[in-house]
Amino acid sequence: MKTDFSLRSLEGLLEAFLERMVHLKHRRLGVLGGINRLDDIARYTDSNEITDEVGDWFAVHNRWLTESVLKPADIDRIGKMLGEINGHISAGSGSSPATRKVVQEIDRWQKKTGRIRGKLVLKRGSESVEKSDNSDTISLFGSSLEFSSALFADLSGGKKHLLSVLDDSLKSAVVQKNKQALLLSAYLIYYLKLNGYIVDPFVKRLKAAERLHKEGNTAHA
Amino acid sequence: MLNPGEKAYCQALLALKSKNYRLAAEEFEKAAPLFKNDREVNLIMEKTRVLVAVKKKLAVEESDAIEVEETLPYG
Repeated sequence: MKTDFSLRSLEGLLEAFLERMVHLKHRRLGVLGGINRLDDIARYTDSNEITDEVGDWFAVHNRWLTESVLKPADIDRIGKMLGEINGHISAGSGSSPATRKVVQEIDRWQKKTGRIRGKLVLKRGSESVEKSDNSDTISLFGSSLEFSSALFADLSGGKKHLLSVLDDSLKSAVVQKNKQALLLSAYLIYYLKLNGYIVDPFVKRLKAAERLHKEGNTAHA
Repeated sequence: MLNPGEKAYCQALLALKSKNYRLAAEEFEKAAPLFKNDREVNLIMEKTRVLVAVKKKLAVEESDAIEVEETLPYG
């Protein structure tokens, strides 16, 4: 009887913990649910069924584009799945109004999230001095901060200390020549310095990453 | 498409949301190798696993109690 009581209270405790976790993460769970649904759709083989289901999916999840609930990794995953779905639809029979609408929606999503599909043509126009506009720099910096914040959320998942996040951020800056990771690393280094940490080794890595980034830019120019 | 581990992780969290703890534990089991170093995910996985074990134990005890109740009236 006593064991039964202990088990019941343990059951209640564990259920309460998991319910609270679900409550706290309900937004994230909503996103994962949507991604999971899109993944199910991408696995379908019938192009008509895909068209219907993707149409429904967009009707429910288009708001994600304005609500900024997606992490960069989510945007990447969704973009890839939509690319695969687009391939299925294009390979399917005929082009109905519904199909065209879905393809347009996919294009709109890819453009809004910065994943433009199709052939990329690089052209170089005549050189000119960049115009600087105060309002532009403010909005550009704002976007950069938002992106850094999302990157930080991605990198900090499961880490025990900020130094581990900085380490990953620097790796990303070097390996991927990721400018946002470079900016985030600089911000983290300064934050840690102000809080009394020894940051010299990280500053050296930051400078090396910065050099690589500059070389990369020069090579592309 | 999502890799099997990512897919299992999504399914596990959705199962948790609908309080299907047994399915959640099964899916977490499949996703576990992908989240070896993620403390938070490991904690949720472990709690789910223990909860399922507790429920199983309670179900066994309940069925034992029913058998005793059924036996008693007939001696």
